[in-house]
Amino acid sequence: MMPAQAPHKQRGGVLRASLFLATMGFASVVVAMPVLAVILFAIFPELNALSLVGAFGNFAPHFDDPRLLQAVFNSVALAVSVCAISTVIAVVAALLRVRLGRRGALWDVLFLVPFLIPPFTGAFAWIQLGQNNGFIEQIFGFNLSAVLYSFFGIVVVMALNLFPIVYFTTSSALQIVGQRYDDVARVFGATPLRRLFRIVLPLVGAAIVSSNLLVFIMTVEEFGTAEILGRRVGIDFVVTYIHEKLSDWPIDLPGASVLSLILIVIALCAYSLHLKLTKQVATSVDEVQSQARESQLGMAGTAVSHIALGLLAFVAVGLPLLSILCSAMMQRMSGGLVWSNLNFDAFIALFTTHEGALDAILTSLHLATVTALVTVTIGILAAFFIVRWRSVLSDPLDFLLTLPNALPAMTLAVGLILVWNQAFWPWTPYNTWWVMLLAYTCIMLPYPVRMITSTLRQLPMSMQDAAVVYGASDLGVILRVNGPALLGVSVASGFIVFSIASRELVTSLLLTPPGFETVSTFVFHQFDQGSVNTAMAMSLVSVLISGGFIALANYLNSLGPSKGR
Amino acid sequence: MIRTLATSLIAMMAATAVTADDLTVYSAGPKPLSAALAEAFTAKTGITVNLFQSTSGKVMARYEAEKANPQADVLISASWGHAITMSEAGELLPYTSVNASNVPDSLKTEDYVAQGAAAIAMVYNTTLDMPAPSEWSDLTDAAYKDMVTMPDPAASGAALSLVQGLASQDSDAAWELISDLKDNGMIVPGANAAALNPVLSGARGVVFGAVDYIAIGQKAAGEAIEVVYPESGTVLAPRPIMIPASTDQADEAKQFMDFVLSEEGQALVAERMILPARTDIEAKRPGWDALTLIDFDYVQAAADAEATKAAFAAAVE
Repeated sequence: MMPAQAPHKQRGGVLRASLFLATMGFASVVVAMPVLAVILFAIFPELNALSLVGAFGNFAPHFDDPRLLQAVFNSVALAVSVCAISTVIAVVAALLRVRLGRRGALWDVLFLVPFLIPPFTGAFAWIQLGQNNGFIEQIFGFNLSAVLYSFFGIVVVMALNLFPIVYFTTSSALQIVGQRYDDVARVFGATPLRRLFRIVLPLVGAAIVSSNLLVFIMTVEEFGTAEILGRRVGIDFVVTYIHEKLSDWPIDLPGASVLSLILIVIALCAYSLHLKLTKQVATSVDEVQSQARESQLGMAGTAVSHIALGLLAFVAVGLPLLSILCSAMMQRMSGGLVWSNLNFDAFIALFTTHEGALDAILTSLHLATVTALVTVTIGILAAFFIVRWRSVLSDPLDFLLTLPNALPAMTLAVGLILVWNQAFWPWTPYNTWWVMLLAYTCIMLPYPVRMITSTLRQLPMSMQDAAVVYGASDLGVILRVNGPALLGVSVASGFIVFSIASRELVTSLLLTPPGFETVSTFVFHQFDQGSVNTAMAMSLVSVLISGGFIALANYLNSLGPSKGR
Repeated sequence: MIRTLATSLIAMMAATAVTADDLTVYSAGPKPLSAALAEAFTAKTGITVNLFQSTSGKVMARYEAEKANPQADVLISASWGHAITMSEAGELLPYTSVNASNVPDSLKTEDYVAQGAAAIAMVYNTTLDMPAPSEWSDLTDAAYKDMVTMPDPAASGAALSLVQGLASQDSDAAWELISDLKDNGMIVPGANAAALNPVLSGARGVVFGAVDYIAIGQKAAGEAIEVVYPESGTVLAPRPIMIPASTDQADEAKQFMDFVLSEEGQALVAERMILPARTDIEAKRPGWDALTLIDFDYVQAAADAEATKAAFAAAVE
């Protein structure tokens, strides 16, 4: 069912060439340079002092390290488990959501919240809830520590954090696919189960596979949960091992780069598996059915769907937020959950005694907005070069733009320092606001690229062909033909980027220019110095503000001309 | 809209661009202390301070990564071992501040000096049904079964100092103590905050090897905890100030070091419940005379740090 690409190879022109050069050039500067620096650093352990001595001296000791082998195994096992669980949760949720039509929009906004909660804070929230004498035990008399402090506990906490990626990609794919194929099968008497596995799921297979790649790679790379829960359980992951090399004395930057190469290799394997799977499951439909529909369920079905989605939202969103709220309101951590110990002082103090708090929020919002705009623009362009205007450079571009997800953010930060903190640049973004934007853009690029690419793959080629026949230019194809159909997924991916960027911690910790603070570094420092309630209050305020922005934008978007939906 | 965005971009660029004349200070927490020191220093000398605030590990990682084009003029870490290693590698500018005369010899060398120090303590939650501990070895008692947490020496310089100090007295006894603690259900959940938080929230009872100034501050804020220094002795975790040899602002960096060791600077250190490096400045917490300290060779201990961490890991296996 793959549309034929051949006739389009010959087409193009100055505009397309320059767009391609711009995209590729952007990808090279933002992604390839820091990644290359990390790779070179792994090979030349003294590259940070611009010296090339001791090439490859760093590899052998690492490959004999039994701890590393165990860590690689743990990381892959974790990633596979998280993929499995988040796919199950997300696909069920997306199937329910799509049947609700416009009335389900509430859930889209709610399921963005897990992204807004920093993994670090989220894991802490779960500990506060589930530990011995934790919030749950104080209220209900039992605790979850046996489950929480286990491999399975880490998997569940991470899956609850990451399932929205699969959810958003799958539900927007389901919307494009529409109901017609399913209706046809139903008319011909197929059972619901058979329709699900033979019709609906295969149609959105590409979206599921593609978003699973993101989940897999993010799990391998994600640091907060692995650090907080993993250390407590005593399970080593590659990313915590890398972090140890980067922050525990003696600091071993080249060693961290070698380990990062392992993560890149894992990502490469996942990526090629994903390519293979995509080829098997790729489908496209003849006609876009992107019009948001009314609910097709009866009263009972609607109610059951809402209840099921509500339960999921309660566990993935409500519980962590409640836990953060309680932690923020507790005057004394040792005072427990009693009314006399709860008030809003920490929130008030945030805007009275902590002068940096408001600046940190503004900085994060500003960075997150610009990052979202830049990455979505590049994501749309890249999607066309990867899916429609294919060339020999299409797959490398695709891989390049997925790569940042495979790199631990801290290594990437080291790569950016290596690239930009050199005396030979006439001007350097290093130590300014721009280096943060570079870092954020690099880390976030994979989300819009993956999401928009997988949606574009499903769009019918026929519309584009028709437009080209009638003389549409490349820009016209992007803006007028496929653009409206891609609008939904572009906005969704922009929100995801905004959410993640508004709370990015790991690169910020290493790259913030002097005198510069983001929400996440503010939270981290408060936490580090024992002001848990201030840290949690700031997390919550940031979640509310960013969430508010998203809700507002979502609302404005829904007011827009329905043609684009 | 676009114009506003562009204007604000340029404003932010200008606001954060680091000029060569400013003093760049990389400091480990607590942030209110480094910010207060920077502000007071600027008020006094007119020299602008660019402050990069992070954890000790990130401060050193950034310094390492920047070696091709060093940025930092002053480094403040929370781990004495960082200074020892850098001094041995010849990466520090030798300087003895005039204000360092009242700093004990153990906390200063030609290359670096302590800003202040934390002492390592036991911190316990007083709301739990559990006897008050007084000695490190008390925690192996059945009364503390599944109650003890300890910061990981691999992630906390303070915990490493404690292990080094105990091992310097009697290494067999030290490893046996750690291993008995482990048998008694001790957990090693990560860095300092990760070990202290379960005790604050009552999930666990007592921290073996807590950084005291954070806990003293929390007790002052009303937390139901007590800080105990065993009679048999504890160790200090001094916070070194260093001037990298690569600085191009050596004079300003020296002035900064002088300022931190001045009475004004040391008073700011004392304000954060940290033990000031100068013995003539009054501490707002158990001071130099109130602590029994284990005297051990920091330099030798730093050289053996890898072996010590490995022995620790084996003991809690």
